[in-house]
Amino acid sequence: MPRSQQILVFSAVAALTFGARAQEIEPTADCTLSLKQMHRTERDVWRDLSRNAELVAPSRMQSDANGGARRRTVTPPKSPDAPTIPARNYIDTEIFGKMRTDGVIWTTLSSDEEFLRRVTLDLTGEIPDSATVKAFVADTAADKRDKTIERLLASDAFNDRWAMWFGDLVQNVTNATNTVEYAPGRNAYAAFIRTSIAADKPYDKMVRETLANAGRSFFNGETNYWVRQIQNNGPSQDTYDNLSASTGAKFLGLPLQCLSCHNGFGHLEQVNSGLAKRARSDFWKNAAFFAQVTATRANDPATNNPETTLVDNTTGVYRLNTTSGNKTPRTAAPGAPAVADPAFFLGGEVPQAGETRRAAYARILTAHPQFARNTVNRLWNELFGMGIVEPLDSFDLSRQDLATLAAGATLQPTHPQLLTLLANDFVAKGYSLRGILRTMVQSSAYQLSSRYTNGAWNESWTPYYARHYPHRLMAEELLDGVFRATGVGGSIAVAQMPTALTKAMALPDTVEGGSFRGFLNGFGRGDRDENDRTNDSSIVQALSLLNDRVVTDRIKATANGSTVQKLVRATTDPNAIAEGLYLATLSRYPTTAERAAAVTFLKAGDLTKQTEDLQFALLNKLEFLFN
Amino acid sequence: MKTKNDDCTCERGGSFPVWGEGFSRRQFLRVTGTGIVASYFADVLSPSLLHGATGVAPQLHNSAKNCILIFLSGAPSHIDTWDLKEGAWTPASFTPASYGEIRFPQGLMPKTAEQLNKLTIVRSGLSWAAVHSLAQSWAQIARNPGGATGSIAPHIGAVVALEAQKSRQLTDVLPGFVALNSGNIPGAGYFPAQYAPFGVTPNASGLAALTHPDGASRLTGRWNLLQQIDPERHNGALGKNASDMGGFYDQAKVLIDSPDVNKLFSFTPAEHLKYGSTSFGDSLLIAKNLVGSRRGTRFVQVSMGGWDHHSNIYATQGSSIITNMKTFDPAFGALLADLAATPGTDAGKTLLDETMVVVLGEFGRTVGALNAQGGRDHYLRMSVVFAGGGVQGGRAIGKTDAEGKNAAEFGWSANRDVRPEDVTSTIYSALGIDYTTVRHDDPLNRGFEYVPFAKDGTYGPVNELF
Repeated sequence: MPRSQQILVFSAVAALTFGARAQEIEPTADCTLSLKQMHRTERDVWRDLSRNAELVAPSRMQSDANGGARRRTVTPPKSPDAPTIPARNYIDTEIFGKMRTDGVIWTTLSSDEEFLRRVTLDLTGEIPDSATVKAFVADTAADKRDKTIERLLASDAFNDRWAMWFGDLVQNVTNATNTVEYAPGRNAYAAFIRTSIAADKPYDKMVRETLANAGRSFFNGETNYWVRQIQNNGPSQDTYDNLSASTGAKFLGLPLQCLSCHNGFGHLEQVNSGLAKRARSDFWKNAAFFAQVTATRANDPATNNPETTLVDNTTGVYRLNTTSGNKTPRTAAPGAPAVADPAFFLGGEVPQAGETRRAAYARILTAHPQFARNTVNRLWNELFGMGIVEPLDSFDLSRQDLATLAAGATLQPTHPQLLTLLANDFVAKGYSLRGILRTMVQSSAYQLSSRYTNGAWNESWTPYYARHYPHRLMAEELLDGVFRATGVGGSIAVAQMPTALTKAMALPDTVEGGSFRGFLNGFGRGDRDENDRTNDSSIVQALSLLNDRVVTDRIKATANGSTVQKLVRATTDPNAIAEGLYLATLSRYPTTAERAAAVTFLKAGDLTKQTEDLQFALLNKLEFLFN
Repeated sequence: MKTKNDDCTCERGGSFPVWGEGFSRRQFLRVTGTGIVASYFADVLSPSLLHGATGVAPQLHNSAKNCILIFLSGAPSHIDTWDLKEGAWTPASFTPASYGEIRFPQGLMPKTAEQLNKLTIVRSGLSWAAVHSLAQSWAQIARNPGGATGSIAPHIGAVVALEAQKSRQLTDVLPGFVALNSGNIPGAGYFPAQYAPFGVTPNASGLAALTHPDGASRLTGRWNLLQQIDPERHNGALGKNASDMGGFYDQAKVLIDSPDVNKLFSFTPAEHLKYGSTSFGDSLLIAKNLVGSRRGTRFVQVSMGGWDHHSNIYATQGSSIITNMKTFDPAFGALLADLAATPGTDAGKTLLDETMVVVLGEFGRTVGALNAQGGRDHYLRMSVVFAGGGVQGGRAIGKTDAEGKNAAEFGWSANRDVRPEDVTSTIYSALGIDYTTVRHDDPLNRGFEYVPFAKDGTYGPVNELF
């Protein structure tokens, strides 16, 4: 049977099986994660393609007489040998080693300007300003890239950008479908996150505090992790389940949610072979770590908002006695106790004497190797555009190690050894976010160009990281980039904050935004509730960039302090104006051809108007919108 | 289709928060080739890359020019609406009445009741999965999202838009696929981004940012400069993601240059009132304008969430089937009435004759008495409603048993439950699209079937509708 037919038949069987299953378990099955789990993501597809020693052309095939598919192998394109790239650390050994083994031709290192813009955006969410670009280009020191990395890691903007990352991860937001943090709680949580990152608090400690600290939600911001998981419309076990499932997904990369309604066996074989071996009772035991907390809500007179206070107790159990709420009924197996006692999902560890259940959970979870593996995988995704394991919250623990891999199964990570090395390094560096990020951005793999110049590009090389693959700037990066490039900032008022913000990346969530909300929302920042952040583009985004006054008012020479105003007041030399606009907007010098074209354009009409138009065009250049 | 309540699993007003659907089908394109764009025109223009059924001759009704898909996410109760089962639970306000063979809750849906002669209810519908996000995607991409081609599959509206590309005129400035009130829904899949749904939030004044603040002529100059200084817009040097953005710019510019289209997205207070004074109603009103304008839009999806009534389904306040119907019913009734009152393209035809309207959710809800919370839970049995586009109205196809659980009569030639794949085949057939098509331009090299297994006769249109 041709391969394509085999796959389609398999799909039909899977479909029918799932349909039947769903009917059996039908009412109140909460399995919102299923879609994500059931999908092989697009990245998986490419990952599989890249695994085949025989490279398959991604978009071309020949049809045979039966309409079936015949695969056509592709010989590597004629191209120069892969350029020599220095190996900076173990990342390069792994990334380039695999490419060499598989005959993948990588691109060249990024130019200084491309590197500077990329690393500045990735580490701080900002574009580099003109002065920084000039100084960096002029610097002849051999270690100038490393010095720039150090400067960015130490910058204040680093804290905003990575606080946004962690805020997205834990979904800090005022209003969620299941619960309300209230603005003072949201702000306190954002402050905890930012303070922790600014202090380079070890990430394991930060997560332990997030999971285990007690106190008042408007003062001890980290307690909002709990508040965010409260399920207002179900029994308390539903909240414990949310806490168990969310900690699994966010901090272990495991889709435990699947097990909150049913056993893995008979459900997850095609989705997650590791979890297919686990039972719903394992999930209950993990959730039982949260069953000894009292959460009380009372009005805070200072803000006139309801505040939640968390207190850890020594009593309280996870009872298997529910028939309502958001989960299928919880009942004990015949002869088994009607309560679930705490035991960690991975490894089965239990609380020690004198330890609160939550402290035990935080201790056990952060000490587990999967905690570090999940964290470095997420950080890698931020810098390299895709995780070594995808989806990020769906590690299949049966497919991580060649030594324990079942016959016929494939490894899940694209670079298994690299993932292990990164995780070990993260632990060795004391769980320092800056430490592991430094190692990543210092690598030559990170510093490859996004342009491919060594012959024809082969899409199946993408998961090899043979070039940097550009993605659209985050909504916040884009707005802040417009502010910086045009020299005209903005003032963003936030609920329950005494002073307005001057940059979107400093926002405490992805819903606030003052008068810039519409602009920001159009660029897919998500809502930290039902809609995830996305890098997708759209017509609406193009309309905003072309016609929104957020852009058009900021390029005017009449706008106080604008880049255009400063340039046309300082000089009438079109060459200087062209250079100034390229530096301010694209964070690079124009090429010779670009300079000539810009000068011609600037001379072709009223200099002020032409200058405005040139910056408008540069802001709409794809290069500005992508990194 | 992420609207509040839809994922849940839970009772009214709540929904599990931690994971959204998260899955962006179009993320795929971040790693796929620019070759897809380059190859697209060749694919459309060279039929050799397509082939039809090997086993089954498609039945193409070719009876419609447009499709409006109304998606009720969260899954409305079938036995309280289209497949009414009266019992002790039935609120008196439903005031059921008989319309020929259709027993209908006219008190709950009075405006729809007035239009019953225009629609046909398929009562033997059956979903594949009682999981919101999975079943929602399934219905919109006509296949198992977890199956072989689930990850690359375009929304059925994107398929319609691509197929319609061949007949586009110069005056067709609107995207082929428009989604109103719909949030994150499946997109273009592996198709070029131009077939992705153009997502619009209704506003009385029309589209936002359609006009350049510094004047149209200024924008022309700026646009020309942009094309001149940015060769990477279309040469793929920055990868597929960036090329897609370049394509969206081009589509945006076409809209900017056709300011008259904005009237299609605008509405008066009187129109707003007529459609029930809701965003959903505004969306149906715009949908009617779009298909009536013949400016390139062939498929419109309008979504309405909040049907996941695990509790208090008959409440008169808050979210319930009664309060939701105050949104749905006037809008749907006005849509059918207006489509029927508008002349079509062809002589003697109305716009309704030329537009297939389909209403469905991702599944149905449990039957019989209410659960302990006064609600109904997830259930695979469901009803699907068709009107216009060649559909003979005033009928029900298929029957369920006394409770509304199983199909007592399937009511169509295939003699089995009507699946989402059959619904899609029906839409494609009405639009003249060969639902047995297998494209051989997919990045998986597996062959992309418009409707999986349709070429083997497994799925097909419900011909009895026509």
